[in-house]
Amino acid sequence: MTALLSIRDLAVRYRRGGVPALKDVSLDVLAGERLAIIGESSSGKSTLALAVAGLLARSATIGGTINWKIPKSQTSHSFAPPSVLPDISPKRGEIEPSSPPSPISNVAGREPTAELLISPQVGEMSGRTEGGAVARQLSQPRDTIPLLGRDIGFVFQDPSSSLDPVMPIGKQIAEVARTHLHLTWREAIAKAKTLLERVRLPNPEATLHAYPHQLSGGQKQRVAIAAAIAAGPKLLIADEATSALDTIVQAEIVALIRRLVSEDGMTLIFISHDIALAASLANRIAVLRHGELVELGETSQIVNAPQHAYTRALLDAHLGLDAEPLLDRQGTSA
Amino acid sequence: MSVLAVSNLTKRYHRGGKPFAAVDEVSFDVGPAETLALAGPSGSGKSTIARLVLRLIEPDAGRIDFEGANFFALSGAALRARRARLQMVFQDPLAAFNPRATVARVLGDPLRIHGIAPRAERPRRIAALLERVGLDTGLAARAIHEISGGQRQRVAIARAIATRPSLIVLDEAVSALDVSVRGQILELLLDLQRQERIAYLFISHDLGVIRAVAHRVVILDAGRIAESGDARAVIADPQSAVGKALVAATPKLVRTSQDAS
Amino acid sequence: MNRLRRFLRTPEAIAGVLILALLLVMALAAPLFFPGDPQAIAGPALLPPFQDWRLPLGTDRLGRDVLAELFHGARTSLAVGLAAAAAALLIGAVVGTLAGFAGGLVDEVLMRVTDAFQTVPGFLLALAFVSIVGPSLSVVVAAIALSAWTGPARVARAEVLSIRERDYVTGARVIGMHPLEIAFREVLPNALPPVLALSSVIVAAAILTEAALSFLGLGDPNRVTWGGMIAEGRTVLRTAPFLSIIPGIALVLTVLGVYLAGEGVVESTAVRRSLS
Repeated sequence: MTALLSIRDLAVRYRRGGVPALKDVSLDVLAGERLAIIGESSSGKSTLALAVAGLLARSATIGGTINWKIPKSQTSHSFAPPSVLPDISPKRGEIEPSSPPSPISNVAGREPTAELLISPQVGEMSGRTEGGAVARQLSQPRDTIPLLGRDIGFVFQDPSSSLDPVMPIGKQIAEVARTHLHLTWREAIAKAKTLLERVRLPNPEATLHAYPHQLSGGQKQRVAIAAAIAAGPKLLIADEATSALDTIVQAEIVALIRRLVSEDGMTLIFISHDIALAASLANRIAVLRHGELVELGETSQIVNAPQHAYTRALLDAHLGLDAEPLLDRQGTSA
Repeated sequence: MSVLAVSNLTKRYHRGGKPFAAVDEVSFDVGPAETLALAGPSGSGKSTIARLVLRLIEPDAGRIDFEGANFFALSGAALRARRARLQMVFQDPLAAFNPRATVARVLGDPLRIHGIAPRAERPRRIAALLERVGLDTGLAARAIHEISGGQRQRVAIARAIATRPSLIVLDEAVSALDVSVRGQILELLLDLQRQERIAYLFISHDLGVIRAVAHRVVILDAGRIAESGDARAVIADPQSAVGKALVAATPKLVRTSQDAS
Repeated sequence: MNRLRRFLRTPEAIAGVLILALLLVMALAAPLFFPGDPQAIAGPALLPPFQDWRLPLGTDRLGRDVLAELFHGARTSLAVGLAAAAAALLIGAVVGTLAGFAGGLVDEVLMRVTDAFQTVPGFLLALAFVSIVGPSLSVVVAAIALSAWTGPARVARAEVLSIRERDYVTGARVIGMHPLEIAFREVLPNALPPVLALSSVIVAAAILTEAALSFLGLGDPNRVTWGGMIAEGRTVLRTAPFLSIIPGIALVLTVLGVYLAGEGVVESTAVRRSLS
């Protein structure tokens, strides 16, 4: 299998001098695979997803490269060099004389012949960014770089905040299709209806005109998935996409993602804190801890023959329906 | 005799002008030092039941007997005094505390309100509570936002046991924690139960966790009890449709070999 | 320390703080530089400014030292402005917290009272109050507070309505805390920041209202006020315009300083919020 993208020495800091969110992470995402990235809080798993999608906050400091191998353009691209990006509020006197020049001049001053280090752009995707995430946009020709929305679909944890509350659902999905597939509104709406059928929403015709607040959490997540795949992306990133849902709905959404990924031949990056859930969906699992890649391997190897003590600890901490109840382990009980 | 006896509890809300029962004729009881789990999909009424049991909201019908007395007969100062025996731990340990509070203030409040320890004795009692939940006594001076999520949940448990309750409602109390921390918190809860004979009303959507710590389980669906019984027996062989769906939906880790451990 | 540095980053904030510091020094140093009664006659009447080095800003119609009056007037303006704003914020925060936290009938009654106060123009209310009770410093402060507490009350209530649904308020109920303690110890301190953001506007408005009352002769007659000075100068506006212009400039600068410093505070808290 060929790599869809190669991540090399990716390092991210959200605040200068702060704790790194990612430390020199290197891994390949293979075309067509289902890769799960698991870890506990502050392991860097969401940072990795955001970095791949080009959604990291403007104030973050990024090092390393992400090389995309998108079949269409056949050209290789890579990511921003270790550069300091503008902080929201640089404090006076805290910028050391040795710090690199400002990022603006850094980008502008780069010779066009050098290997271009870029991150994907964000297309016009209404309401699809969350938590104030600002897309990095570098001035590169649009058709040669991966574009969020067109080449990458992103599903967030909380569908209530990733959908526009005052726009009909059909329009939100159609907008993605129209922007990236160059359809007319009529065609885009028809496409949206097809997508709502594909994500198995009851009564797609009526749902087109519904607003997010009229749907349940699980239904909203289905809409978010429909919008994410509207332009036929090659890569689908699901960042804790089922964590806010109850067990039954979670299983349904996981089944939906599995079906859509296999039907469309998409590559999947599935971010989760739940090793059992990840194992049920992924071919390969990457385990992150404190921003470092602890272990990467085939799902069966990770689950049955983990190499790293931390992976073993995660597996042992899982409370499955076959585990020995803690009640018994403690001995006496009421 | 049971610590908590709930009978025919009903709470109705209006949704789109139509009344619907969030909790519909629910009855159950919890014995001393027993853990009863409430499980069910979202919207099944488990959190509403928790709020009713704690008298944070008033029911439309039904009765709750707590420690043998009608809990709904109490009001004002009598109700506040009674609350010492019935405590709660929340899902999000950060949201559960005043953002301005220190650990010492959080633990000192229940001791002061219920007259458990005079002012001079409080620091010693706070230190003892911190030790009881496995925290360093030096943590008392720290602000709540300075400590880790796992430590916060331990402080929440320390606050809950400060007034020596007979029942603690745990509303998804381990759902927001990392799995490594979750195990330790569950062990702590079980240890406290054994030592202090505290009963738990354990609300969770995670059958794996329920099976690990609960004696009995009540599975709810749309405000009604779908089935109930011994936790392991129900989860091993659910009879109701929602019970079967919950078991089927729980992610399973299929480990074929246990080498390298 | 960090907070102060962030606050002083914007030029507006620095300008505002400088103006307010100058005003504070004037107010505090007034008895030092100008001991004795500022309303005593100090020289010939209607002496223009910059003629006599002992009376740099000249004298008024009765021969009183304008500079001394300006310094002592700063005391009144600052004292009345701050006291009235503090009283308005206190009343507003308490009323808003009670209304928002108690809900139901208490909320209805308190908010209708707030509505009633808001429908009457604040200045007319203050005017009427002082006319009835009689002019004195404390009455002027009360009158201004009476016309300014409704804004803070509404903001506090809105904030309390969202805070009372938080888990930690539920947690306080669960441990058996008395509702009044929950309202004033758990809820109110967390509802204060947006209420305090109003304070610069209220202080500025209070200073202007005080000046306007004094201008209309409803200020404390035993104290020098800038509004009173402007009113005094009005009668000789054609022959000695400086008597109105000097206190007028002082008033404008003071209000500007309060606004700029307030903007700085809002700005620095906004930056902090976006950082965290």
